[in-house]
Amino acid sequence: MYYPFETQITPLTSISRRRILPAPGEILVHVDQRVEPTQIVAQTHLPSDFRILSLARLLNVSPAQVEGCLRVELGDEVQKGQIVAKRFIRPAVRSPIDGVVTDSGGGRMLIEAQPTLFELPAYIPGTVRNVLKNHGIVIETTGAMIQGAWGNGGESFGVLKCMVKDPKHSLHARDIDISCQRTILIGGLEMNSEAIEAAQEMQVRGIVVGGLPPELISQAEQLPFPIIATEGIGKMPMSDPVFRLLTTNDGREASISGKVQTRWGVVRPEIIIPLPAGASAPAETPPGLPLEIGARVRALRAPYVGKVGVIAALPSRPRIIDTGARVRGAEVDLGQENPVFIPLVNLEVLR
Amino acid sequence: MAKDQRVNSILLIDCGTAMTKAVLLDQVRGRYRLVARGEVPTTTEPPWSDVVDGILHAAERISAVTGRDFFDGNSDLILPELSDRRGVDAFATTVSASPPLQVVAGGLVRDLSVASVERAAVGTYSLIKAVLTGEGRGILQEEILIHKIHKSVSDVICIAGGAEGGARIPVLRLVRAATLACALLDPDQRPVLLYAGNSQLRQTVVKIVKKRVELRVTDNVCPAPMKESLHSAQMEFDSLYLNKMKQLPGIKIVDGWSPTRLLPTARAFGRLMEYLWHLGDPLKGVLGVDIGAANTTVAAVFDGHISLTVRSGLGVAFGGEQLVQKQGAETISRWLPEPMSDDEVRGLLINKEMHPTSIPQIQRELCLEQALAREALRAALKTARSGWNPGAAQPYPHLLPLCDTIVAGGGVLAHAPHPGQAALIILDALQPIGITTLVLDKYGLASLLGAAAAIKPLAAVETLDSGGFTNLATVVTPVAGHARRGDTILKVHVTYDDESAFSVEVSYGDLEVLPLPPGQQAMLELQPLHHFDVGLGGPGKGGQQRVNGGLAGLIIDARGRPLQLASNPEQRQTQMQQWRWDVGG
Repeated sequence: MYYPFETQITPLTSISRRRILPAPGEILVHVDQRVEPTQIVAQTHLPSDFRILSLARLLNVSPAQVEGCLRVELGDEVQKGQIVAKRFIRPAVRSPIDGVVTDSGGGRMLIEAQPTLFELPAYIPGTVRNVLKNHGIVIETTGAMIQGAWGNGGESFGVLKCMVKDPKHSLHARDIDISCQRTILIGGLEMNSEAIEAAQEMQVRGIVVGGLPPELISQAEQLPFPIIATEGIGKMPMSDPVFRLLTTNDGREASISGKVQTRWGVVRPEIIIPLPAGASAPAETPPGLPLEIGARVRALRAPYVGKVGVIAALPSRPRIIDTGARVRGAEVDLGQENPVFIPLVNLEVLR
Repeated sequence: MAKDQRVNSILLIDCGTAMTKAVLLDQVRGRYRLVARGEVPTTTEPPWSDVVDGILHAAERISAVTGRDFFDGNSDLILPELSDRRGVDAFATTVSASPPLQVVAGGLVRDLSVASVERAAVGTYSLIKAVLTGEGRGILQEEILIHKIHKSVSDVICIAGGAEGGARIPVLRLVRAATLACALLDPDQRPVLLYAGNSQLRQTVVKIVKKRVELRVTDNVCPAPMKESLHSAQMEFDSLYLNKMKQLPGIKIVDGWSPTRLLPTARAFGRLMEYLWHLGDPLKGVLGVDIGAANTTVAAVFDGHISLTVRSGLGVAFGGEQLVQKQGAETISRWLPEPMSDDEVRGLLINKEMHPTSIPQIQRELCLEQALAREALRAALKTARSGWNPGAAQPYPHLLPLCDTIVAGGGVLAHAPHPGQAALIILDALQPIGITTLVLDKYGLASLLGAAAAIKPLAAVETLDSGGFTNLATVVTPVAGHARRGDTILKVHVTYDDESAFSVEVSYGDLEVLPLPPGQQAMLELQPLHHFDVGLGGPGKGGQQRVNGGLAGLIIDARGRPLQLASNPEQRQTQMQQWRWDVGG
């Protein structure tokens, strides 16, 4: 048996997202509360600048004598210009910044500047199901869910706007006009630098394409909105199921995340289209099951990269592929004349 | 485990970043043998997010072959083996799937104490996030140091410096900076402070740190300017990595299955190399290399002493794109037999990171993966060599020391479509000299047998004897002579055991492969010309040597050392294609 990795391309499912603060802080919502994507659900203060004051030198005393000269205590808030240490005949030592006395010792004092406020938005509309004390919340919603392959970071929320009629068509700058403002553009095959510039000019909320040409990665990484490549880096048409699902939901609002982490806590880019939970929600198969005949799969490597098909057979013996390697694989019906043999490790199941 | 306890069957697991391997050793006619193995994707990420699933999947593969079950209905390991042959007598796990230790290395002098800290840290899975030096002084300098620590988000700050009885003030300044930086962090996020400097300052260091940070103290890594003492610090780094290993989802359950401690894969790999050194020519070294998905390990044993180096964050799945960003795509594409644009290189490397268990299906992508393997090995070797002390095994300081055996493992080598490709990757990257046996760890056994040795040393020995490793090739590399391309530099006379024989003359620049299949031996008579050295006593000295066959045969690598690649891209690609053809791949 082979247990493949999975990618979600689901028209309707229940979705749960943990929203976690980067440091312990305050939770602003409660369990069962309804939240909207841009609503701030938690906040914390993150450390910012600091200053070290060499008190012993400034007061001309030994480090051991500094303690007797202190005018503030550990944890005290201090204002810029406030006296923090003084010895009768020497000029007083004043705080160079607004902040908090964090540490002292060895004749030095550490003053940490007022921390910066970090606000965590809900990202998806839904209901708060759990509050993780001081750390974050869990939000649940229902809707369509598409996991992408590559993203440039960041999160956004907007209306989906389909820009191409075919997943093999590219996104062009000439098609991006004022009607695209504050929308999430859906392209097909790829796009070029001009299309990205036009999208930026129109203040789009995001772009979803099949593949992103590698030469555009640096440009994409500088953008204020997320870009998601559903198939990967290179010239790759968007897979049919992804394109169909996105076009079906053209004009609907969606949350998108371009965050990606490829190991040690994998994070994948995603498109979440909130939908009302209907009675027709399909029964979900549990994740992590072995690969079986009939499973819908996507190929991950050339020459079939991005192609979606159905497992037609699971030969028990390894076969030789074009590189000369002898590997275990599956016969996959890609809609061509005959099924093709693809190594098991080069397949992912679509759920 | 009690010494007198019966140990027949041993289940060994290696949880790698991309793949989890399971191996069953058992007694067959009174001797330990590799009975079955299974290799499956690691399951630390969704949809499983639990390392146990991968272990169960891998064990399932073995069950399918042997008909034996190892786990009960609750997915708990059955230990010891039952009378109906369910379960095993012993179990051990090696792990490299956890993220590496994030280390800030501090010391007084970049090339001395800081370098020693770095060498100690690379003995386990670690990444140097920042370097602090005692150069400069004053509050501004201290603020720079603190900013560096603060930005680095590390697991451990290791401060060294000051020879024994030497410098005090600059070392303590570093300790103060590190302590202050830690005070700025949330208590949950504070790294461990590892003090590995002047031992006379330990009490003062304790006073400075108070209890604001977890402090650990080791021997001084650099007790004198030309002396290094890394063992104690390496043990601490290992221990810290073990703590990090235990954060892997599900690993605590695995740890509870057996009294045998979890081992970092690299440590277990190194242990086996130490054993192999005792079997070979004591005047030469043994070198083990293992290219994983995210890490590349080099274990070198000279004169019985092991030097273990892990190049974390660079393997055949991860780190390639970063390497390209830092050094340019040509670093990798120069090893390709056909043109590939920089953008295509970068794109393919990023896609591989997104699907780290996937394999190339077309030649072009296979060549790229093998090119990355060469660079990963070269980078790891470069880091490793600074910590070696090969003594007489190193006749030429700028070249690799003489190695009796090179053991090479990792999926990219073990699953290379043609053994010649695996051999060529090793030769291009490591560039051995003299006469060396290349051994392929085809079944990914090296670290697992290193772990088995801790339970039952005989199991490791007998499994190796019964063909656990595969001879890849014997390589003869003449070096250090002076010749022009095309000049004959070596006369070789090969006599097989059936007394058939032949002679060849090898020209400078050539890569010759002579037939000598696995399981066969031959007597080589070598006569170097132009003062070339084949490792038989010095320049120009020849002699006889009995050698073993291998999957890739007997290779005479007369391309010269260090290997020179053509500067013209087209000529270089032709060169690469020619070498590939030469080795049959």
